[in-house]
Amino acid sequence: MKVRPSSNPVTETVSALLIPFMQLYALYLVAHGDLGPGGGFQGGAIFAASLILRAIVFGLDAEEERRYESLGGSLAAAGVLLYGGIGLLCMARGGSFLEYPALPFADPKTAYHLGIYGIETGVGLAVAGAMLLLFMKIAGSRDD
Amino acid sequence: MFEAAALAVILAAALTLVRALKGPGVYDRILAVNVMGTKTVALLALIGFVYERPHFLDIAITYALINFIATIAFLRYRERGDLRI
Repeated sequence: MKVRPSSNPVTETVSALLIPFMQLYALYLVAHGDLGPGGGFQGGAIFAASLILRAIVFGLDAEEERRYESLGGSLAAAGVLLYGGIGLLCMARGGSFLEYPALPFADPKTAYHLGIYGIETGVGLAVAGAMLLLFMKIAGSRDD
Repeated sequence: MFEAAALAVILAAALTLVRALKGPGVYDRILAVNVMGTKTVALLALIGFVYERPHFLDIAITYALINFIATIAFLRYRERGDLRI
């Protein structure tokens, strides 16, 4: 429906090469956050940035725009749900909010690690979704 | 050796900042900001070697990716007058 923005082979080729790498790198940042720099926020921001780059360079038709917005909302809600769910699960099992050793794993150390991974993943999902939603609300052509 | 290289990069970044402030055209400024980002990536990698903390390379990669997107977005804005996709 929408005409494609003026295409440029340089930006299109570079973006097509870069976007998969960026998404892989975002996953690396989320998974590696406890050992180096990075974590959920940075990983989520880079993941959303890769999708935003795709939208800027290749353009979106109406269907893709709708899908981007619903993806943003779903990711943000899923992230908050994951974060709050882990926190409340700890409370339900007798700990305080986000007290990871209370999680139902055999070893408290394992529970601690997996709890932090869950939290980081939740933060990453929420950040990616919120950034995507903000971008679509500012730059999208839908008015609702 | 890495310290000297880092100092040279800082000097080059300062010169780039002069170009970004003086202009004269908007494309000079965009290019200056882009070069500044590239200098930042090189500087981060060098600082990682100086302090022997290889994790700085991760930050450098992150910065390189974000910098590229900002330039593309700004040029698209210049070309079309708005950011509507």
